[in-house]
Amino acid sequence: MSMYQVKPIYEGGIKIDLPTCMYTLPNVHQLQAASSCSSEHAPQNGAADPEVRALEARQDEIMRKLFELKAVVDGLAKTVATPDADLDLTVSSCLGSPSPTAACTFSGTADLDVLLGKDMGALRDIVINANPARPPLTLLVLHGLLCQRYRVLSAVHVHSSVASVPPQLLSCLGPRHADGYARNLFQLGFTLIWKDVPKLQMKFSVRNMCPIEGEANVARFLFRLLSPGPSDAAPATLVDSLVDTAFFQLAEGGAKEQAAALRALNAALGRHVWLAGSELSLADVACYCCAVQSGAAASAPANVQRWIKACENLGYFSRAKLQ
Amino acid sequence: MTNEDAQGSTAEEAQSKKGLKKQQKEAEKAAKKAEKQAKLAAEQQGTEEDDFAKDQYGNSVMIQSQEKLDRELHRIQDLTPEKADKLIWLRARVHTSRAKGKQCFLVLRQQQFNVQALVAVGDRASKQMVKFAANVNKESIVDVEAVVKKVEQKIESCTQQEVELHVEKIFVVSQAEARLPLQLEDAARPEVEGDEDGRATVNQDTRLDNRVIDLRTTTSQAIFRLQAGVCMLFRETLTNKGFVEIQTPKIISAASEGGANVFTVSYFKTSAYLAQSPQLYKQMCICADFDKVFCVGPVFRAEDSNTHRHLTEFVGLDIEMAFNYHYHEVIDSITETMVQIFKGLRDRFQTEIQAVNKQYPSEPFRFLEPTLRLEYTEGVAMLRQAGVEMGDEDDLSTPNEKLLGRLVKEKYDTDFYVLDKYPLSVRPFYTMPDPSNPKYSNSYDMFMRGEEILSGAQRVHDAQLLTERAVHHQIDLEKIKAYIDSFRYGAPPHGGGGIGLERVCMLYLGLHNIRQTSMFPRDPKRLTP
Repeated sequence: MSMYQVKPIYEGGIKIDLPTCMYTLPNVHQLQAASSCSSEHAPQNGAADPEVRALEARQDEIMRKLFELKAVVDGLAKTVATPDADLDLTVSSCLGSPSPTAACTFSGTADLDVLLGKDMGALRDIVINANPARPPLTLLVLHGLLCQRYRVLSAVHVHSSVASVPPQLLSCLGPRHADGYARNLFQLGFTLIWKDVPKLQMKFSVRNMCPIEGEANVARFLFRLLSPGPSDAAPATLVDSLVDTAFFQLAEGGAKEQAAALRALNAALGRHVWLAGSELSLADVACYCCAVQSGAAASAPANVQRWIKACENLGYFSRAKLQ
Repeated sequence: MTNEDAQGSTAEEAQSKKGLKKQQKEAEKAAKKAEKQAKLAAEQQGTEEDDFAKDQYGNSVMIQSQEKLDRELHRIQDLTPEKADKLIWLRARVHTSRAKGKQCFLVLRQQQFNVQALVAVGDRASKQMVKFAANVNKESIVDVEAVVKKVEQKIESCTQQEVELHVEKIFVVSQAEARLPLQLEDAARPEVEGDEDGRATVNQDTRLDNRVIDLRTTTSQAIFRLQAGVCMLFRETLTNKGFVEIQTPKIISAASEGGANVFTVSYFKTSAYLAQSPQLYKQMCICADFDKVFCVGPVFRAEDSNTHRHLTEFVGLDIEMAFNYHYHEVIDSITETMVQIFKGLRDRFQTEIQAVNKQYPSEPFRFLEPTLRLEYTEGVAMLRQAGVEMGDEDDLSTPNEKLLGRLVKEKYDTDFYVLDKYPLSVRPFYTMPDPSNPKYSNSYDMFMRGEEILSGAQRVHDAQLLTERAVHHQIDLEKIKAYIDSFRYGAPPHGGGGIGLERVCMLYLGLHNIRQTSMFPRDPKRLTP
C-alpha cells in the first residue's frame, strides 16, 4: 500500500555562499568526491578506465532512448494536434506491439502479484457478466490495453439465460484462441459472459471479494491494473468525477443532461489535450465510450469533436466500435 | 395313561367349544353377508326399474376386438376453450373421484394431462349413474362421452384449467383393483422440508416395487419423456456432425477396464463377461476408418456400491472420434453436443422440466457456450484456496468434486464445465501422456452440478507406447493382446468419452437419486421388477 507523497523539507542542491577568505576543501558530504578524484586520475594514466567507458556507453544509450522517445511523443502530439493525420510508422508499431513503450501512456507500473495477490498456480481470471443489450464498451477498450501490457487469456461465453447474441459480441475480444493453449502460460484471464443481468457484474476472487457491480466501477478496477492512477488526490478526484459524468450523464441521462455534460467536456478540452490534463486517463476512455454509445458524439461541440477524432486515432479505441 | 387321556379329552372339548363358537360366528357373518347382498340386489333391482339412463353407463364388455367403432377419441391436452360445447368421446383413467350429493366430480387423466369431469343428476344422467360414477375405482380406464364446457373460474388442480367435461355416458373399459399399493397423490406430493402435517409420502422402495403405478405420476412421465429427449438430441446432434451410430457386443471375452468390477456370465462351456464399456469396440471402429462414431447402449458395472449415483446397469452414451492435431477438437465436439442437448431440453422440454420441478424443486440448469474449460492444476489451486489439503497428483474425492463444482458455479455461474489435464497416475493405461509435462495427461472429466458425468481422454494409438504404458501399470500383456494388436496396422490419433444417460437426466433436473431416472433400476440390492 503506497502512501501519499510529501514534498522534501529541504532540497539537496542548495547553493551556499561560502566565504572566500580561506582555502577551499572538497565537500565531505558529497559521495561522488572520491570517484571524481579517481576519474581525474584516469586520463593522466593515459589509458581510459573501463568503468568510465561503460558509463559513457550507458549515457549514449540513455540519450538514444530519449531521442527515440521524443520522436514517439512528437508523433503522438502530431496525431493529437492534427486528428486527420495518419499515425506515424513508429507510433503505430509502438501501439501495436506489447512493448512497454505502448503502455507508456500511463505513468507508473503495476505488478499483478501485488495488485491481485499470488496466483498459486491458478489462472487469475476476471469474470465479467454483461448484458448483451448494453455491451460494456469501456471494458472492451480496457481489455485491449490490458492485452498490450500482459499475456491475457480472453474468452467470451454465452450464458444459458440469454437466448442468442449477435456475432459481433462474440468476437468483441478478438479472435478465439487457437486450440491447445495451456492456460497456465497466461498472466491474466479475461472472461466475458453475456448473461441476463440487470447490472454489469465482475467477479474475481469469490472467496475474498464481493462482486463489483456497475461498468464504471469495473472500469476503475481494470484501469488500476494498468496504472495506479494519479497519486495526487485532486487529479484522482477529477478523473473519478469525469467517469461518473460519463456513466450517469452521457450514457444514462436525458438529452438535456447529455448536452450539459458535453459542454463541460468541451470546456475541459479547451484547457488540456485530454480530459484530465496532458495525459490520457480513464476519464477519456469512459467519456469516449459513453458518448459513442449514446450517440451524443454526433452533436458534440468543436473541442469534443477534435478530442473524439484524437481518441479514434489511437488504435485500441476501435474496440468500442461494435455497432 | 388315563391322566393323559383325560387331558386329551378336555383339550378336545375345549377345542370343540372354541370351534363351535367360531362356526356360530361365521354363520352369523354369512347370514349378514347374504342379507346385505340381497339388500344390494334388491336395491339394484329397484334402481334398475326406474333408471332412465341405464344404457348410458356400465361396465363395457372386455374389448376383444369384436367390432371397430367409427368413434374419434380425443386427447385431453387438446381440450381447449375452442372445443367448447362440442360433444366428444375420450378414454382416460379416473384420477380421483368425489361424490357430493347429486353430483360427482371426476378428474380424468391421460399421462401428464388431466381434466375435470362432472356427472350431475339431470335430464341426461340419473341418480344411479352418478352413484356408479362415484364408485368407479381410481386408476380404472373409462370411456366417456361428454360435452366440453368453458368454466368461469380456472380449475387450478388440473392441467386443462379453462374447460371441464359434462359427462353424458360413462363406461368402464378396465376396472382397477380397489386397493392400490400406493396412492398417486402421495407419490406425486412435492418434497417439503420436514414432515409437516404428517402427510403420507411413498418411499423409494415402495415406488420401485410398484413401478407401473409410480411411472403413471406426472413427474415420472415427465422424467422419462425428458430422458427420451436426451437420447433423441444426442443422436440428432451427433448425426448432424457426421458421426455414425454403431452397435457393439455386450457379451465379451475379456474385461475391458480392469478386472475387478465385471460381471461373469456362463457362456456354454466357458465363461464370458458383460461389457463395462464399449471402449475397445469404439476404438476398433476408429481404426477401421469410421472417423467419428457414437453408440447408445447398456453397460454393466459389478460395483457393490449402494449410493445415490451408482447403478449396476445403465445406459451409456459413448463418443469416439479421430482428430486432426489436438485432442481439444474432441473436447469441443463433446461439449458442443452437450450444449446442444441442454439447449434442446431448455427449448423443447420446458413443460416436462416444470412438471418435475413441481415435485422436486431445483434451480434451472445453467451453462455457458462455449463450455468453460479449466485445468486440473487450477481446480486444485481453487480447492486449496478454499482450505482443502491435497497433493498435486491426488485424484479428486467426491466431496472435493462437489466443492469445486460449487466454487466454479459461484464464479462462473455454470453447472457444466470441463476439467482438463488430469494427473497421469489416476487415469487408465491407455491415456495419452501430456507432451510438455509427463506427470499429467491429455484427459478430461466433465461435470454437471459438481458430479462427474463423463470421463474421457486422448487414447494412446501407438502399439509401442501402449505396451510401455501397460507394463508400467503392471497389466498382463497377454490379456490385452487383441487390444494392442488393433493399433499395429495404422491408427489415427483419436479420443472420446462416455456419458451416463441416467446421470445426465438426474443432474439436469437436479434430482437426488439415480433410481428416479432409471425406469427399472438395477443395483446390488434390486433385480426386480
